[in-house]
Amino acid sequence: MRIPPLNSVLDGVVDAGARLLEPNVRLGVTGLRRAGKTVFVSTLVDNLLKAGRLPFLDVVSSGRFQASRLRPQPDPDVPRFDVEGHLAALTGPDPHWPEPTRGIGQLRLALRYRPGSSLKRAVQPVATLNLDIVDYPGEWLLDLPLLRQSFAEWSALTLDLAARPPRDELSQSWRGWLATIDPATPAEEDSARRGAALYTDYLHACRRADTLLSLIQPGRFVEPGDMKDAPLLTFCPLPGATRGRGSLWALMEERYEAYKTNVVRRFFSEHFARLDRQIVLIDVLGALNAGPSGMADMKRALELSLEPFRHGGAGWFDWLFGGKIDRVLFAATKADHIAAHQHAQLRTLLDRLVADARSSIRFEGAAVETMAIAALKCTDSVTTEHEGRQLRCVRGVPVGRDRPTVLFPGEIPEDADAFPSERERPYNFLSFRPPADLGRDPRGLPHIRVDQALQFLLGDYLE
Amino acid sequence: MNERTSHWVPPMELDPARAAPVPVAEEEAIIAGRAAELLPVADGPAPPRRRIGRWLIGAVAALVLVALGFDTADLLGRAFATSLALGILVALLVAMAGVAAVALLVGELLSLRRLRRIEALRVEAERLTIDSRQGEAERFAGSLVALYAARPDLEMALAGVRDHVTDAHDDGEIVRLLDREVLAPLDRAAYQRVLRAARDTAVATALSPAAVLDLAVVLWRNLKLVREIAALYGARPGYVGSLRLLRRMLANIAVAGVAESAHHVAVEALGGSLAAAVSTRMGQGVINGLLTARVGITAMHLCRPIAFGPDNRPSLNRIRKELLSLPKQVL
Repeated sequence: MRIPPLNSVLDGVVDAGARLLEPNVRLGVTGLRRAGKTVFVSTLVDNLLKAGRLPFLDVVSSGRFQASRLRPQPDPDVPRFDVEGHLAALTGPDPHWPEPTRGIGQLRLALRYRPGSSLKRAVQPVATLNLDIVDYPGEWLLDLPLLRQSFAEWSALTLDLAARPPRDELSQSWRGWLATIDPATPAEEDSARRGAALYTDYLHACRRADTLLSLIQPGRFVEPGDMKDAPLLTFCPLPGATRGRGSLWALMEERYEAYKTNVVRRFFSEHFARLDRQIVLIDVLGALNAGPSGMADMKRALELSLEPFRHGGAGWFDWLFGGKIDRVLFAATKADHIAAHQHAQLRTLLDRLVADARSSIRFEGAAVETMAIAALKCTDSVTTEHEGRQLRCVRGVPVGRDRPTVLFPGEIPEDADAFPSERERPYNFLSFRPPADLGRDPRGLPHIRVDQALQFLLGDYLE
Repeated sequence: MNERTSHWVPPMELDPARAAPVPVAEEEAIIAGRAAELLPVADGPAPPRRRIGRWLIGAVAALVLVALGFDTADLLGRAFATSLALGILVALLVAMAGVAAVALLVGELLSLRRLRRIEALRVEAERLTIDSRQGEAERFAGSLVALYAARPDLEMALAGVRDHVTDAHDDGEIVRLLDREVLAPLDRAAYQRVLRAARDTAVATALSPAAVLDLAVVLWRNLKLVREIAALYGARPGYVGSLRLLRRMLANIAVAGVAESAHHVAVEALGGSLAAAVSTRMGQGVINGLLTARVGITAMHLCRPIAFGPDNRPSLNRIRKELLSLPKQVL
């Protein structure tokens, strides 16, 4: 037997000791399209680096926080989240919103602080916490329910959804192609590619739609990451029952199963299963803007994407995750698009959207919280008079314009239905440009309640 | 249809020139503290009092005043009759006494008002935290800042609040922010004082040769502690203002008497050896220290403009540990 050299053993011991003394926490950041993941992660990093706008983060407000800095990330095969590039886009001379991330990104931030309890201080006067931020598209979460569906079941559901408004128009060409083929015919690569291309076009059209359709499956069709054009992504739902071997149906089913094994399961075991904390960003205002159909679509997408957080119930969940995530935060983003006094209503609306998931996650023992946040505060709340009434509005520069405007975006009712039947278009939330001269502020990017979100997600690690 | 329908305003863009910023006004109010006087002084439910007693006290006080007046006039007359110099001297003394009495009265009234204002602030803070609405916290913040405006030790904290409050915070958050930024350092200072006072009384009781002496020490140290804490939180109670705080203190001291006799019984039962006697003194010291700590923490509760929440409530635990380690240090 070969005895390892002494210094390598010592290295191993030192390594283990370092891990013991420097705990890691993996924070998953996800959200459906346009929820503001990229900006959220950028703000979070910028604020933790500068620590000037975090009054509700206990470790900062009690003066125990020392500093934080970026460190090389632990997983060499995961792309790095390009925080410098995104911050440059936001704080540069011509501030603009950064390009949305495609695929997964990771970043490690080391936080150095003095422990709060005297016992911990006796062991370690200055402690370090490694925060790994994992940013991944919310669409990938939507893939999870596929694990429990057979190809036939999934096809039936998807076809049913595609035939209903507002999706029926978008899916016309794909459904037209489906009518011309027979799934029982022998498989041909050409027709498989054709079907997949048309189906992908339909999914892209859903994403681009004004009504903000969020339910997009399988997620890799629109966010392929590193597997563009792989055979794994060349299938589409087919009508009818199971067909014989060698048929087009059998080929598609085989690829669907391969997608489940190689993409979905791999993502969840390599990334999702290792998360400790999770924040789910939800663009509630965007869905309100899109009207009742957009809202309904988002609600369905949310229900599906929150499946993985419902511990228990599904047996595979325990197998995959072992209930590791112990705090989940649902955040309604872009709260700066409404006047500040409406934040409570926004939060109530979000509460209602995630009520089911929330109670089942709580039942399993994880803590759940909801908040109305804005990763980057682009507007001010103002009051103005309109027909003898004081209206609370927001003031900011809308995207595509140069001059500030004052916008009354409509008010979210406190208790009633968000879409009263008598209103044609009750909301008009504009998107605003990032304010100028953000780079000069040494305190960090202005935000709404990101500090409270951090306190909920990381506060107990920083005690 | 309903009220909401009749007041409904469609989403639209409005003239930027006519918009008034909400947040700036809010922040200015906080900075200037000019909203302080707007806060209504809450009239708590008045405890039922006996009218007769008040009448009696009032009448007796009036009689004394009248008698004093007559006597003073008489005295002045006699002094002037004796000599002019004596007369002027007595007149000066009378004037001085009168001015001092008035100043004392005004001071008492002011300090009472300060206490009542802090109580009003506490009620207001509670309301704001529960409601979580928007736009009402600036008055509260203004009053609180006015209370601490002249304090150099809080300048940094107040600047911090000004820095952090934005128009996006709702009332509850502003109250929490003030609590964390302004009052948390005061809490730490007050806790240190309580700790020190508890140790002082414990040591004094343990070492004092006579029971009368340590009663006096405990009384004096408690009174000093209460006034220190009140001053720290900005209440600076006068003699009348301290009465409420003192009442609780006296109740605590009454409990101290009980503890003492219980200890005696225990020592008698064990057979009063020298060691037991020493440990009795120690035990009394620890108990008196704990009582002082309780008085101090009660004073903190009474003088704090925002009530303690569940996670920042000062605990007796640390003081207890500290006190229990005292016998080792003293022996």
